[in-house]
Amino acid sequence: MDKIYITAASQASPGDARAAQFGARFGRLDLASQLALMAVESLGIDFDELPRERVGICLASRDGSLAADCEYWRGRGAAGGPSPALFVYTLPSAAIGELAIRHRLTGPSLCLVGPGSVLTEAADWLRRGEVEACLCVECRVITPALGEMIGSPPDAAAFALFLRRGGWRALEENERDMERLCAAFSAHTAAS
Amino acid sequence: MQVIVMDNLLNELKASIIESLRLENITPAQIADDSPLFGGGLGLDSIDALELVVMLEQKYGIVIKDIEEGRPAFKSVRTLADFIQARRSPK
Repeated sequence: MDKIYITAASQASPGDARAAQFGARFGRLDLASQLALMAVESLGIDFDELPRERVGICLASRDGSLAADCEYWRGRGAAGGPSPALFVYTLPSAAIGELAIRHRLTGPSLCLVGPGSVLTEAADWLRRGEVEACLCVECRVITPALGEMIGSPPDAAAFALFLRRGGWRALEENERDMERLCAAFSAHTAAS
Repeated sequence: MQVIVMDNLLNELKASIIESLRLENITPAQIADDSPLFGGGLGLDSIDALELVVMLEQKYGIVIKDIEEGRPAFKSVRTLADFIQARRSPK
């Protein structure tokens, strides 16, 4: 089977100083979209070198839009109703739209809600020649308010991988753990 | 006295806009009284317009039911302040 390679990997967490580079409208985004944008920015990909209609986006949204849903629900009793800007983010795939807008990517996209991985699907797109490259992003967002509601500790992070037909190292057939792959890439770049 | 009231309202409105639209790294002093709110430097869009309608109801108790009625008010911070003043004044 054709080998698919990891070209770059990165991660982001809340309070990241990199948020400042996104401008005045960054605060409007939900946390999942903010983290996804920061993680992808840190990949350092020059999208001008790629045909943008041939770059896919695969998002694994472990917690879906539950954090935004929860905040929206809590705002239902306020005068004027809940925030219209927040309503936009009560869709689990919202981060894909933000990534596509920022980097002007028009290729295929896929959103998986739950604890699964999108690496297999992304690799299949590449093998079938449907894309030349694929951004893979995994988001985990449990805000304190959501955590209280579902009985889970707060958690927030995003992990991003850029897959192509050449690069740092081949993606193994059974590799699914994006956090571990990001850590391995980080160790590799620190050592080199 | 009327001038002071208006100045206070303009400053309060700018702070409310920044807060409700979650504008980052922008201070009230950076928003000019007469600059266009939409299509200008703040980069506001239709979702922001809806957010401002909600802000007016929450903060000033002003309900805009017809967007056409509110459209002229959203031209600038000053037109918005004038709109609030007019709605507050006894008829």
